[in-house]
Amino acid sequence: MASEPHASGYLSAPLYLLCVALVTGVAIATAMALRPAFAHKMLEMTGLEAMPQAVPNSFYAARVAPLFAQHCISCHGETRQKAELWLDSYAFVLRGGRHGAVIHPRDPKTSELMTRITLPAGDDKAMPPEGKTPLSPDDVTVIRLWIAAGASPTMPAAAIKGVPQLVAEVTFPDLDPAGTRRRRAPLANVMQQLSARYPGVAAYESRNSADLELNAALRGATFTDTDLKAFLPLHDHIVHMDLSGTAITDASAQALAQMTALQTLRLTNTKTGDATISALAALKSLKFLTVTGTHATGPALAPLSKRGVTIHGDGDAD
Amino acid sequence: MGGLGAFFLNSAMAEPNAAKNAASAAALPIQHDPSAPLSPLAPPFTPKVRRVIYLHMGGSPSQLELFDHKPELTKFNGRDCPEVFLKGKRFAFITGVPKLLGTMYPFHQAGKSGTWISDRLPHLEKMIDDMCVINSMRTDQFNHAPAQLLVQTGDPRLGHASLGSWVTYGLGSENQNLPGFIVMISSSSTTANAGKPLWGSGFLPSVYQGVQCRSAGEPVLYLDNPKGVSRVERRQVLDAVDEINRQTYAELGNPETVARIAQYEMSFRMQLEASDAMDITREPAHVLARYGAEPGKTSFANNCLVARRLAERGVRFIQLYHWGWDSHGTPVDQGLNVGLVDCCHATDQPTAALLTDLKERGLLEDTLIVWGGEFGRTPMQENRGGQEMKYIGRDHHPEAFSIWLAGGGIKSGITHGATDDLGYDVVRDPVEVRDLHATTLYLLGFDYRTFSYSYQGLDQKLTGVKPARVVSEILA
Amino acid sequence: MPTDPGATEDRIRVWDAPTRLFHWSIVALVFLSWLSADQGYMTVHLWSGLTLLALLLFRLGWGLMGSTTARFSDFLHPPRKVIAYLKSGGGLLHAGHNPASGLMVIALLAVLLAQVLTGLFGNDGLKFSGPLALLVSDDVSDQLTRIHGIIFNIILALVWLHVVAVGFYHFVKGDNLVAPMVSGKKRRTRVPEGANIIFAHPVLAVGLLLASAAVVAWILF
Repeated sequence: MASEPHASGYLSAPLYLLCVALVTGVAIATAMALRPAFAHKMLEMTGLEAMPQAVPNSFYAARVAPLFAQHCISCHGETRQKAELWLDSYAFVLRGGRHGAVIHPRDPKTSELMTRITLPAGDDKAMPPEGKTPLSPDDVTVIRLWIAAGASPTMPAAAIKGVPQLVAEVTFPDLDPAGTRRRRAPLANVMQQLSARYPGVAAYESRNSADLELNAALRGATFTDTDLKAFLPLHDHIVHMDLSGTAITDASAQALAQMTALQTLRLTNTKTGDATISALAALKSLKFLTVTGTHATGPALAPLSKRGVTIHGDGDAD
Repeated sequence: MGGLGAFFLNSAMAEPNAAKNAASAAALPIQHDPSAPLSPLAPPFTPKVRRVIYLHMGGSPSQLELFDHKPELTKFNGRDCPEVFLKGKRFAFITGVPKLLGTMYPFHQAGKSGTWISDRLPHLEKMIDDMCVINSMRTDQFNHAPAQLLVQTGDPRLGHASLGSWVTYGLGSENQNLPGFIVMISSSSTTANAGKPLWGSGFLPSVYQGVQCRSAGEPVLYLDNPKGVSRVERRQVLDAVDEINRQTYAELGNPETVARIAQYEMSFRMQLEASDAMDITREPAHVLARYGAEPGKTSFANNCLVARRLAERGVRFIQLYHWGWDSHGTPVDQGLNVGLVDCCHATDQPTAALLTDLKERGLLEDTLIVWGGEFGRTPMQENRGGQEMKYIGRDHHPEAFSIWLAGGGIKSGITHGATDDLGYDVVRDPVEVRDLHATTLYLLGFDYRTFSYSYQGLDQKLTGVKPARVVSEILA
Repeated sequence: MPTDPGATEDRIRVWDAPTRLFHWSIVALVFLSWLSADQGYMTVHLWSGLTLLALLLFRLGWGLMGSTTARFSDFLHPPRKVIAYLKSGGGLLHAGHNPASGLMVIALLAVLLAQVLTGLFGNDGLKFSGPLALLVSDDVSDQLTRIHGIIFNIILALVWLHVVAVGFYHFVKGDNLVAPMVSGKKRRTRVPEGANIIFAHPVLAVGLLLASAAVVAWILF
């Protein structure tokens, strides 16, 4: 195996490595000059750049950051950084992207971010781009006011005037089929028997809950006090009850008093009266009560009404 | 080569799905027993309302004469419409430069809430504190049929399922002896531009379509047995037909066959219950007077009273259409100073009576009432063919219109959204038609994003493919 | 197969044409991929990446059945051998890749392959997504996009290391490695005596390339 001594190259190893370091340094410096976002990243990594944090109950954290989170960070955050712009934390927002800062504190008019979010919807450069949920005019106003007030990470929420109200978007609870099954398990047998005997009267309010609604109105006069008593085993799950037009009388007062989960009760056109109304005092969750066409009188209803229960059919204006 | 093209299209135009995988939709699919396609189902989430009464004012009522108070517009009455409002726009009938038209009727603030309303609806304004007026509705259709289809089916083209069909598909029907979705029509003059597809089932199984009932004469056409055929004989015929259908089903397994059997059975049960439900002579005189109902006639008043009776009997989606609001000013019955008056007169008292009645029976808090047309009317006076017209009217205006809602889950006594000073564009809180649909579905206990039906390779939704939102600002 | 009859007095052929073409195509394509992604020409980026995939697949196959110096068995060595080589200051001569550069080659191939594969499933948040993005959920696609971004930095680092290493050989050790990768020929003095390099038939290379392209096409459809 022929082995040659080291051939002589142009440079010694240390000198070469020095050159490499120099060239690399120049390359990085050039990149930093050409790409501000890269420059910031380098400064951040070497600890040379301050990374201001937003205070938790600042205006930014309460109103601006959620807007960015909802409308922007799928393309300007952890997954992707289009135009090398991150919008998922205050320091990055301030830092800007490939073409420099997108926010000029105190000057919304020259802030590229404001320009982009106020472009007409069809424009190529409009942000968020077509297909993404757009910012509402109120959202744009919030951002503009924040920039105009100095784009601060610490300014408290109350310090900026004229801000549109925060509209809470509707959210849907998590579906929990397993949990629902568990909560319904204790009722399962009773529900099965009652559904067989009284089809369609008791039903779960939704597929995500174990709360029940009891609707006997369609049964009319065939539904009696005895029938209502049959539903007592479900007493702490029934939230709505419609007994309109049934044959219920004051004899059901006791049974009704046990329906502690009840929120809505309709007794329209039944032969119930004040005895039943007094029994309802025990129902702390009751919110709506209809007594049109019953024998209930004003004085008996007064305590409920005072408690804040909305009562229909007592003859008084609601 | 076709494959290559397909690949190119596929990758260059494939959009990453914005919504996350709907695990929820998979967790709670809608499953109907084909032999009982209308049996009641619970919604996935807690509902705020259990039924919807939709009052569609066909032709589209003029919001500027009813709910959208524009004093600035009145100041400019008779002046030429500025160029900026005409440039690039397509109107149904306006040509050239029309004149601005202020409201024909005085406005005032009503009720404790101080909501602005004109003097045309004196009965309804007594219920104003129970209403939520939306002055910022928007649509993108400027002609009747597509606009009606958009409002009722979520898409301006034919073939989509109506709101009532979706609701019936999702919830079934409480009362198995009545259809789950009933439609009644009354009219001052013209009839539905988009026709029966407005309450059709589109791509949903046909069993969920709306059934048109009448408040005068036979409640449902062809429901009664033919002369000379008794109910017993009818039952025998049905048994025979059922037998044949069951054999066909056993052979071919088409679920529509089973649904058909169920429909025949339902019609049989309906023979008894429908006539009873629709018979307003059973109501006491003071109730008839409150609605202004006259038994034996076809009228909006009669229909409203029937609607209340149907609501009490577990019908979940009741739709009333009243035509004649298309106030162009061409024929006399479509003038703002004539036809509109008639329409208001025909609908004002019964609507108010319906609200009062439902409220008294405790039904309003779990019913959603929707009142509205399919678009708005222009702040300019219509000048068909560039000529001044004999009667005063306004053209179609998709950019802004007004509706009102009442009932469960809705904030009452408020006005949501606003248009500019001339009533042309929405400047605050725009509500698209699909947002109204999303809100309706939300109130009924559905997530509009996951409530879908698979058809033609898409998970079809009532709210369509554009982003929609539930109008959280008007929720109680 | 006989050794190259065209060998001159002081140079012998060590790198076959397919390997050399492969090397420089990769250089161009990696640069093109970077440029196209940076400037937003995603269709170019897509095609560049797919071509890279085909070439990488080709290289994997060629590494099993190609010329001696191209085969993995020629330059893949256990770690101790790599360390021994480095410690010895690179004294030992090799016809093809030495153990350290063999490691570099594998690292680059692996990282490039990972980059192309993650790219198949990625998306750009708007209208563009990789050909296989629809096979996975949005979350997975987003994660793979993120990884695609991270691997890019690794590629940059490895390319830097590669260039520095080649430069070290050139400037410090006087051993020009670039010229052989272009012409295919090394000085005899740089090649161990009796190195027996067998060159695979070019037709095999073409066939392998077509097969790789076919695999890529299959992935797409």
